[in-house]
Amino acid sequence: MSISTPGGPQRRPTVVSTGKKPAAGRPAADAKATGTKAGSGKPATPQRSGGGGKGPRKPITPVKVSQGRSWGPIALFVAVGVLATSIIGYGAWAAIRGSQSWEDKAADIQGIVNFRETDPESVSNSEHRAGKQEYKQSPPVGGPHNNTWQRCLGDVYDAPIAAEHALHSMEHGAVWLTYRPDLPAADVEKLASVIRNNDFMLMSPYEGLDKAVSIQAWGYQLKVDSADDPRIKEFATTLAQNASVEPGATCSAGNYTTGTGTEPRELQPSMGG
Amino acid sequence: MPNAVQDAPVDERTSPAEPRQASRTLRYLTLAVTALLLLGVGWTAATLTSGRTPGETSAEAGFARDMSRHHAQAVEMAMVAYAKGQNPEIRQIGYDIALTQQAQIGQMQRWLQEWDLMPTGSRPAMEWMSDDVQPRDDGLMPGMATREEIAQLHEAQGAEVDQLVIKLMINHHLGGIHMVDGVLKVSDRPEVVRMAKAMKAGQQKEINELRKLQQASG
Repeated sequence: MSISTPGGPQRRPTVVSTGKKPAAGRPAADAKATGTKAGSGKPATPQRSGGGGKGPRKPITPVKVSQGRSWGPIALFVAVGVLATSIIGYGAWAAIRGSQSWEDKAADIQGIVNFRETDPESVSNSEHRAGKQEYKQSPPVGGPHNNTWQRCLGDVYDAPIAAEHALHSMEHGAVWLTYRPDLPAADVEKLASVIRNNDFMLMSPYEGLDKAVSIQAWGYQLKVDSADDPRIKEFATTLAQNASVEPGATCSAGNYTTGTGTEPRELQPSMGG
Repeated sequence: MPNAVQDAPVDERTSPAEPRQASRTLRYLTLAVTALLLLGVGWTAATLTSGRTPGETSAEAGFARDMSRHHAQAVEMAMVAYAKGQNPEIRQIGYDIALTQQAQIGQMQRWLQEWDLMPTGSRPAMEWMSDDVQPRDDGLMPGMATREEIAQLHEAQGAEVDQLVIKLMINHHLGGIHMVDGVLKVSDRPEVVRMAKAMKAGQQKEINELRKLQQASG
């Protein structure tokens, strides 16, 4: 009601009484009111502001229409507006959230290095080769590797393993968590709690690491100074299986090893190759 | 525009028919808007309830993730049976279990993708089970073999392989069926219910076959 002009309060009663009924009562009131206004030389502004809510009605009875009738429609329009906005908003939010791929989530992890983008060459070769291999990164994130993969059913190895085997696991989608061998046992246990019993994860100590912990998947790596860093788990859960370059390849059965020691083992005849 | 609006009303206001028409228009508009509003409310309600896919902490997601890992161990054991079993029937059943369960892993992973969920969950294993069956201290789910048992299986030779496969796989399947019952109790997702029922029937049948082999071998 505050929309009305200063003179409104006096006029309103008449408008309300007639205006509650449909349009029929209105014209008279309109004529009076506008007549007064026009006569008093009041500018058109109040008229327009009064009828401003609804375009179509403006030309007809700008002031009265708004005073007598607008609240219902206004409330309705506001309600519809709010509803429409929330529906569209929810839709947009759901769409954006739903479309956030694991790659987007990975990119959001602070400090992660995506070698698939920064150094595609070092992850492009995935040949199977026997014996020790040289890698550009330490620990490696891609490149030629052994025919046999390291079992990665949440395996926690307490001694260093061959990167040539771990890399094959990573090609299958595993996340390999490595830590400096001099890390306190309590820290190692914290790391193990991230890995243990999770499919497509494995961990082992790693000699010569430049940071306390390095976690890697095929083409991705994150190095951090503390075993408490929450990004370790974020990396593990975001990239495990998702980062596979052979979707559907396993961590479990087939030609794998569970042995430790950094010298790659060649084909295990008992597993039938 | 402002001028036109200002001028026009003077003429139109003199005609009583115009406002009546305007009010009718307004009523139609109100009606239309109300209809839209109801439509919107209905649509929103439908979206928020029936059309919704299982969420991060749902039993369906828990089942898909945990059963994938449970299956992965069965595949591991079945592959050993296939590669090293002495009895051809053990090799045959190993082959069957490995291929079937690996394919089922693929289907369960596909659900997670369709539900926009990561393969690895944020909740502890088995938390989704309504009957408080928790994983053992070593984190293993019902029926799963320990690391030592798996190592023993890998080292075994000859008839010992067959015996271990039978023993470990029967336990494994019983645990799997228990998890299947857990999800069937709470889920009405058609793809989950269909798969869970098929798993139960298939594993029950394999348990029977394994028991027959066990009896035959004394």
